[in-house]
Amino acid sequence: MIALALAGLRARRSRTLLAAAGIVAASLVVGTGVTVGFGLATGFDRAADQADLPDIIARFDDTGREQLDERVRALPNLAGRSYRFERTGIPLTANGRHTLQGAFHVVMGERRGYLVAEGRDLSGRPGEVVAEHGLAREWGLEVGDTIEVGRAGPLRLVGIAVSPDNVAYPLARAARVYLPDVYRTDTPANLALLWLNDPSKADVTLTQARSVSFGLGRLEFVTRDGVRVLLGQAAGIVISLLVAFSLVALVAAGTMLAAGAHAEVQRRLASLGVQRALGFSPARIAGLQATEAALVAVPAAGLGIAAGTLVVAGPSAGLLASLNERPPGWALLGPLAAALAGVTIIVVAAATWPAWRAARRPPVEILRGGDLPRSFVTAGGGGLGALGARFATAARGRWLAAVATIGVCAGVVTLMLSLASLLERLRDDPGTVGKRYQLTVPLDASLAKTVDEIPGVADVAPRYAADGADSYRLGEPLRLVAFPGDHTRFEAPPLAAGRRIRGPDEIEVGLGLADALGLRPGSTFAVQLAGGTEARFRVAGVVRALENDGRIGWVQPTRLLEAEPRLEPSLAVRLEGGADRAAVTRELVALGAPPRSAAAATTRNAQFLGVLAAVLRGVGLAVGLVCLFALVQALAMTARERRGAVALLRACGADARTVAVVLLGAAAAVALPGAVLGVVLEMTVMGPLVARLAAGFASLPIAPGAGQVVLVVTGLLALAAIATALVARRVLREPVVAGLREE
Amino acid sequence: MSGVATVTARGLVKTFGVGRAARRVLDGADLTVEAGEVVAILGRSGSGKSTLLHLLGGLDRPEAGMIEIDGETVTGAGERELSALRRRRVGFVFQFFHLLPELSGEANVLLAGRVRGAHPDAAARGQHLIESLGLREVAGALPSTLSGGEQQRFAIARALVNDPAVLLADEPTGNLDVGAGAEVLRLLRAGAAGGRAVVMVTHERAAAEIADRVLTLHQGRLFA
Repeated sequence: MIALALAGLRARRSRTLLAAAGIVAASLVVGTGVTVGFGLATGFDRAADQADLPDIIARFDDTGREQLDERVRALPNLAGRSYRFERTGIPLTANGRHTLQGAFHVVMGERRGYLVAEGRDLSGRPGEVVAEHGLAREWGLEVGDTIEVGRAGPLRLVGIAVSPDNVAYPLARAARVYLPDVYRTDTPANLALLWLNDPSKADVTLTQARSVSFGLGRLEFVTRDGVRVLLGQAAGIVISLLVAFSLVALVAAGTMLAAGAHAEVQRRLASLGVQRALGFSPARIAGLQATEAALVAVPAAGLGIAAGTLVVAGPSAGLLASLNERPPGWALLGPLAAALAGVTIIVVAAATWPAWRAARRPPVEILRGGDLPRSFVTAGGGGLGALGARFATAARGRWLAAVATIGVCAGVVTLMLSLASLLERLRDDPGTVGKRYQLTVPLDASLAKTVDEIPGVADVAPRYAADGADSYRLGEPLRLVAFPGDHTRFEAPPLAAGRRIRGPDEIEVGLGLADALGLRPGSTFAVQLAGGTEARFRVAGVVRALENDGRIGWVQPTRLLEAEPRLEPSLAVRLEGGADRAAVTRELVALGAPPRSAAAATTRNAQFLGVLAAVLRGVGLAVGLVCLFALVQALAMTARERRGAVALLRACGADARTVAVVLLGAAAAVALPGAVLGVVLEMTVMGPLVARLAAGFASLPIAPGAGQVVLVVTGLLALAAIATALVARRVLREPVVAGLREE
Repeated sequence: MSGVATVTARGLVKTFGVGRAARRVLDGADLTVEAGEVVAILGRSGSGKSTLLHLLGGLDRPEAGMIEIDGETVTGAGERELSALRRRRVGFVFQFFHLLPELSGEANVLLAGRVRGAHPDAAARGQHLIESLGLREVAGALPSTLSGGEQQRFAIARALVNDPAVLLADEPTGNLDVGAGAEVLRLLRAGAAGGRAVVMVTHERAAAEIADRVLTLHQGRLFA
């Protein structure tokens, strides 16, 4: 059967190459998606394992090591411990570069908590230094170079280390180096690295650690999970969107693969009919089809996936490196092999299923043109455009495949446009994250009434914000926001469960926080505030909040002020619709406090969001070009297969305009349902999926606006017109008799 | 016959291929067909019969010579003029019918009337032709469900829908049994009776029996 399949493929050499090219193109997307997605999804855990990242990192004021170790070694569940002495704000100089934002860690103990990626670790002798790899990369340092570290003077770089407890320099503000403990027991420590026997019982160890922490100033704990969260916050929504886009690209590529394979079989239905007439069994025909598809799919998909991986391997490794994460290396082979298997299965299934269906029909039905489905054939009527639509829909399988391809492309374009708008709204519009006020003013709460009397101001209230951590799991940072009375007048994140707060002892928690701590309506929530005091609340509701990755809670100020009496509010100012913002700003400035616009974005880097929005629009444009290609391909195939019909029309006197109208009808029959399908896909599948993947803790409004829908539909129709012009030009160049002979 | 020449062709030359593979299928062919006249052109396969028909109908261009259809010069005309010529003055009937498979027989007939610039009465004429050719009962059927004779009758109706001055039939009975072929020939004869010039190429002697004149194409020229 393989020999027969190879012979069949050789006989249709150009078609086979075309099909293989399509599979290569789609597999390229799959390869890039898998490489980026897998790398980002597993990067932290891989780096943490390789670097032997501790389960808990405790920070505190400088403490004598013997006194510290006495307390630490008594902790339960402890598998290992190391200490460090950290100093920040240290001048570093090397390779003609200089920073005052250096940080050194004097490392003590056997377990380091970092991975030496190049060179070797510190031997314990003076004069050596290990640099964090972000610093080495940014400054072009190599093992053997000299770094001047503050008062320690010039030191020889013996190794380059990766430590996933923070992002890499310069994404991290501090440039970190590691120094040996040359003073042995005399060096104080202000960092403790703890490895646990059972990391799932970190809570027990933390509780005990807190109980024996008397005398340790400014104690903070960060768990390994907490580091993962902090890194997630640093990379923000961007990584989630990249992973989400990779997944969407995978789905799109899968649809294109299936559509292409299906179309190819539809085109060959007549020859399948001949094979049946010659006595081939349906199973043999399907088997032959599957073998042919596999023979094309395996090498083509392998090539495409490999190319996709090679294309993004560098940028992906760079992104991972900037996050202090490790590229997957050989571990990527498994997912790539799975992707290869997946692509092959899709192609084989898509090629075999219609062949199997066709082969089971009576051969005469196919030979007499039975591949034109009755349900799509009507007696007549309509104009020439309708005739073109009939041409396009006559081969139902191919038409559906083309519509699916255009639909997925249109969906991705709509998604990109929606995401770009969302990012700009996140940057500019506080309403996106549920904020209903536009300005904040650093004025005393007693001036609220004065501000309220300014023309154009609709409402004013003091807004308190305090950072803290969960009392039981101190590695979980969070933010509390308090308004007197009903906070939904100013901030109204949508309620996911429970109800709004009604009194000072209640809290609405963000879904991100609820997920992390297992909170639900009725739970008790204890928060350790920055000053070391604690406040307790009963969870009234869970809300979908985007700010602070959903690790946020809304309360009334009473208990917050009891715990933190010196907490200073700002005034949140809600403007009336159509208010003169500039005039209000002038009045507020006159009161002695220039107002600030209410923050909306989750990242502080608004310029970056703007760039990302532009990139997404660029991706949308690229996918639009894919749409044009798919349309031209679908139309060209229709025109090629119906060249006899077009020639007949020309023989009946149809001029260039008439032929163009027919082809435009064919293009519209693909583009219009494709556009509708794309918008529906975006609204029901892609948008919610990306929103969920990007921020399951929030309600991200990734639905297209009316303008975007109009833009996509109009754009697709314009592409259909371009595709028509291109194909019509080619069709009209052909002599009429050539088309008639074909028929 | 009216004695007015509807089709006039002089010195037609057409060559296929280039270099040593070049083959001159028409080499100074002359033809005159009057209104109401049926002319059958016989010849062996590959003698250039279909090529002659394609040149007369403006589907292809000769390398040399002159063609005039219903008083209008075909040679040298632009693509737009040729389209108009095919639309209003020429009707084609093909050996393999060339009915569009996704359209019913009736829709196929009316198709020629939908083309931009078609005869304003084309639709009414199409319906009349369907009636008069006895196709009403199968008008809604798809071509794949029709017999060869029925398909060719629909094709003839389509060719006549714009009331052309010339009907060009390329092996119209070549794909039909004897009975169906006879019926098609009768319809072509009837077409000429309305004052139309009919040029039919065939290699069947029987088909030529309905013609007023029979010409033979041999070595690129027409002989009586």
